[in-house]
Amino acid sequence: MKTEYPARYIILILFGLYMLIPILATYLFSVAVRWDRSILPEGYTLEWYVKTIHHPYFIVTLKNSFFLAFYTVLLNIVLIVPAAYIAHTQLPSAKLPMDILTILPFGIPRVILALSLITVYTFPVISRSPFLLVCACTIFSMPYMYRPVSNSLEAIDLRTLNDAAQLQGASNIQILFYIIGPNIMNGIISGCLLVFSAIFAEYTLARLITGARYKTLPVLLVEFTRRDGRIASAISVFAFTVALILSLAIILIARKDRVSTVVKH
Amino acid sequence: MSSRKKFRIQTKNLKIATLSAILPFFFFCIAFELLPIAVLIKDSFYNSSGVLSLSNYRGLFQKVYLSSFWNSIRLSAITALFGTIIGTFVGYSILRIQSKRIRALFEALSNVTTNFAGAPLAFAFIIILGANGVVTLLFAQILNLNLYPDFQIYSYAGLVVAYTYFQLPLMILLIIPSFTGLRSEWREAAVSMGASTWQYWRYIGFPLLTPSLVAGLVLLFANAYGAYATAYTLVGSKLMLVTTQIAFVITGEVLHDPALAKAMATVSLVIMAFCIFIYRITISKARGWDK
Repeated sequence: MKTEYPARYIILILFGLYMLIPILATYLFSVAVRWDRSILPEGYTLEWYVKTIHHPYFIVTLKNSFFLAFYTVLLNIVLIVPAAYIAHTQLPSAKLPMDILTILPFGIPRVILALSLITVYTFPVISRSPFLLVCACTIFSMPYMYRPVSNSLEAIDLRTLNDAAQLQGASNIQILFYIIGPNIMNGIISGCLLVFSAIFAEYTLARLITGARYKTLPVLLVEFTRRDGRIASAISVFAFTVALILSLAIILIARKDRVSTVVKH
Repeated sequence: MSSRKKFRIQTKNLKIATLSAILPFFFFCIAFELLPIAVLIKDSFYNSSGVLSLSNYRGLFQKVYLSSFWNSIRLSAITALFGTIIGTFVGYSILRIQSKRIRALFEALSNVTTNFAGAPLAFAFIIILGANGVVTLLFAQILNLNLYPDFQIYSYAGLVVAYTYFQLPLMILLIIPSFTGLRSEWREAAVSMGASTWQYWRYIGFPLLTPSLVAGLVLLFANAYGAYATAYTLVGSKLMLVTTQIAFVITGEVLHDPALAKAMATVSLVIMAFCIFIYRITISKARGWDK
């Protein structure tokens, strides 16, 4: 057993380097004066960030990305949470179709989802509109919302909670808001964070459905990878930092969740 | 009697509430998921004059489209294989780290890097492995190894390097629970009966892991096949993939027949359905002995 250790450490170190170098290089590139003929940058500056923030399109696309992610999260909550709750409590037969419908998007490449949506919705107002984009993003991100919510519904003993609350004279609405809600809140929050970070970084659907009409931050980023690498790296750092914070929050919530279930049993 | 009546009224009320809570979800899925895909598939079987025909599918046998499929399938297969093999070894190595804190660190690294994909990922590889990239320079100065001009990040090889990056964490997150499912008692039992480490893996560990490995392989294949942003940012129109060709039809950058794009999409959906089918079967097998 002990003889295996060196190999294992080499694997882990190589893995760590492969995963970290591209990320660290992007961060370093965004503050480098010049970095194309030396191992380390030739100096450091915040000029590219200042330029990025003052670029007229930066704030617009940032806002667009934020609203796109926000409305997608909202639509996800409205559509998924009540339906998942009903499927778990009163209508078990709806669970299988719901499972299937929320797994399907994994099998539909986003390019194909975009193609199919713009083929069907050709009439004015909706065609290639931000509204259609929000719908596409919702379909694509449904699994991220459904799975944590469904898992947390499965984890709690709904029947016992329901019976206990009814015995105490609670109404259905009261049960939903005071008993079930708080118990699945962690699932909903994880789902919201996952959806938000997926859509905030979403490039394919935004470019193919709305294109120049409603540019998002990732679309601007790709344009700059061909025009000005320094600004591209600053946008990239910005986008990844947002994703990093969100995914750390998700990890913390998951850990808290695990602790609370351990205490319960 | 009265309590039964009360119960019936309650279920009736519940039904209205139930339907109003669950129907929007199903309507939404039909309108923006099932119907569009059904129309897309239907359209692919009609020729330009609106007659039912297979002409679009016959059109796919042109060299452009055949090579797009070949490139997509080859790229997905190779990076899925790399991801599965390397990811399995890394996943096992992570699991065997003694220090709890360092293990959590590597797990978090695998988790966080799943977010580093698409355009930012492609751009990062341009920075480090472009002609003047830092890794290119390091190879040249320390190992005296010139990557260019034989290697190019804006090429098929570059795509393999970048795709493997987003495949690895996915495989690691998938395989770690399968390794934890292998109970230490099984290994102890095997060892006490005189099995060597190799024999344990050959006859017990590997067969038990096979469903998870197959599930990982098809999941990664589908993941790579559907990817678009990384490929578009890195190679643009220099290398033809199924997703970039379909996207070109939508953006109008390259003029193809839209009906052919629909046929391409339909064939891709069949490939994806096959992957998901295998995934569902193998993952339930993998989780079967896990519980």
